[in-house]
Amino acid sequence: MRLTQLAARNIAGSSFRSWIVFFCAALMAGFVISSTLVVRGANTSLRLALERLGADIIVIPSGNEERLESAVLMGIPAHMWMDQAIVDRVRQVPGVAAASPQLYLATLRGAICCSVPEMFLIAYDPDTDFTLRPWLEKNLEGELALGQSVGGAFVFVPVDLAGLEVYGYQLDMVGNLDATGTGLDQSMFFTFDTAHEIARLSPEQAVKKLDIPPHTVSSVLVKVHPDADAHAVATQIAAAISGVTPLETNNLFQGQRTQILSLLNSVVVLLGITWLLAMALVAVVFAIAVNERRREIGVLRALGARRTTVLQSLLIEAGLLAVAGSLVGVVVVTLAVHLFRNLIIGMMGVPFLFPGIPQLLLLGLGAVALVLLSVLAAALLPTFRISVQDPALAMRE
Amino acid sequence: MIQYQTTPGSPEAVANAPTVDIRTPMALTSIAAAPEAVVLRTADESQDTMISVRDVSKIYVVSKEMIVPAVQEVSLDVVRGEFVVITGRSGSGKTTLLHVIAGLTQPTSGEVYLDGIEVWRLPDAEQSLLRNQRIGFVFQFPSLMPSLTALENVVLPTMFGDDDARHDAQERAVQLLHDVGLADKLHAYPRQLSGGQQQRVVIARSLINQPDLILADEPTSDLDELTEQEIMHLFRDVHARSGVTILLVTHSLHLGAFGTRAIRMKGGRIVDSDD
Repeated sequence: MRLTQLAARNIAGSSFRSWIVFFCAALMAGFVISSTLVVRGANTSLRLALERLGADIIVIPSGNEERLESAVLMGIPAHMWMDQAIVDRVRQVPGVAAASPQLYLATLRGAICCSVPEMFLIAYDPDTDFTLRPWLEKNLEGELALGQSVGGAFVFVPVDLAGLEVYGYQLDMVGNLDATGTGLDQSMFFTFDTAHEIARLSPEQAVKKLDIPPHTVSSVLVKVHPDADAHAVATQIAAAISGVTPLETNNLFQGQRTQILSLLNSVVVLLGITWLLAMALVAVVFAIAVNERRREIGVLRALGARRTTVLQSLLIEAGLLAVAGSLVGVVVVTLAVHLFRNLIIGMMGVPFLFPGIPQLLLLGLGAVALVLLSVLAAALLPTFRISVQDPALAMRE
Repeated sequence: MIQYQTTPGSPEAVANAPTVDIRTPMALTSIAAAPEAVVLRTADESQDTMISVRDVSKIYVVSKEMIVPAVQEVSLDVVRGEFVVITGRSGSGKTTLLHVIAGLTQPTSGEVYLDGIEVWRLPDAEQSLLRNQRIGFVFQFPSLMPSLTALENVVLPTMFGDDDARHDAQERAVQLLHDVGLADKLHAYPRQLSGGQQQRVVIARSLINQPDLILADEPTSDLDELTEQEIMHLFRDVHARSGVTILLVTHSLHLGAFGTRAIRMKGGRIVDSDD
């Protein structure tokens, strides 16, 4: 028989105490993993969304700031138009290295193509684009041809269909972008030519015509010179061109960032309180447990167990319960967060990206290790005190 | 004249150690020079003293006003192979004396030697090993681990010893349980056993590491008269068969007859010994 077996038997023999420690460990691990998944995931999501935009400044028609954020973050289509000539005027602003227009469109509401009520569609100008180009060059070794599209991470063509139909136009989806956790994952990208072709054919092929006002664009994505200050360039664009708002991407999603920060603050406070209470409960449970088992521990000492062996045995008990409880907590809460992801996003108003399996495993292990250390720390004092007690006294009490 | 050897603990060192008279300044110098465990061994082989208790006192300080002298200046020698029964009323100090001998509670003053090894100068690890390898315990209270079966309880002490102790532990435990008449209760949990059966398991457990000494503290106090007799006969059988030294304390005066020597304690002192 080994110490671990003895500890496991003792755990089984005192089920109520064991359940309390198990539950505390599960609670602690569940709390830490859920808050890490959501807060860290939300931060990652925002960062990736900004990277996907790939621009330092986005110039849009004034008054559409919130709609752009909703489109990017939640995939709610935004319709906004401004004169195409603005693209050239933006290019002339000192400090602008590149400027590329985009068209923001949407599928028909309830279209058969899509699981979302309206899918956000983004058309780009392949001649000037600098946001999708790196991805296209790396993954497709070229440009998108007429009728081709690239989908967000969660856009799939059903197996029984040849492609996705948008306004009756069959789009050939040639690839999927990496996940960002935002609305961009449920959006589609194609060229200006494809957008205009869809619009041209829509009166005959769709129940409703796709309207793209002539000589208009929805936004201009701006890359500034490496030595230029994005804020100064944005200020100059605002001064030079009326009716537009230059949004610095670094300042985008301020509301969401504030929300994440306040969520993080609340989580830290709640986590701290929960952690302290759980540790206190574990310490009390162990103090009661070792007190009740005083005589048993005295007998073990009489049979030849060293002080360190007794300490080790009790800490193994605590450790086994901590690991088992925290593993269950991590698995259950991770599944719950995954299953209720949309509900959580809806409640928070901020998307979050679920990490990949290796990252998830690492986070889970981190949570288990943290709980294990905390439970051991909580159990250490009462177990140490009993391990150094005079065995004869322990047996008498 | 009784002579002793002084040397730090290892068996080789003990074997090669010089013999000195403990009551000479030379012996004291040797002890002072050995900061760790000091082995004191009787050089008088014919005596073969196993336990030597020298002027042991144990005082419990309950509070400033309440000081309880549980054992007072007790000296006692037990020769190898003896079956000594210490009797006395509750509070006479017999259990405390047993605990002091076993290294379970430190005496306030005095020394205890087990085969010449001064028990209370050993560090915890060595003291624990000494208890594990050389002493078997039987307690007055139910001392089996409730979460372990009878067989696992008997094997338990081997867990705290070296690898040799674990070798064949299972087979030895089965044999011991067979010897105490519990061959059909190997996998029973303590709650499924009667008080007498539990004490039999405890006796089997006390023998698993083939100790030189069994210390039994009121082993029959919770048992009915018939079971008490059975258990005492079992002790006598074990003693007769293995020649193990037994030190048994009890408040029942009539049980003194089961031993080869009876000692009576009162008020923390030995008041009567039939040696």
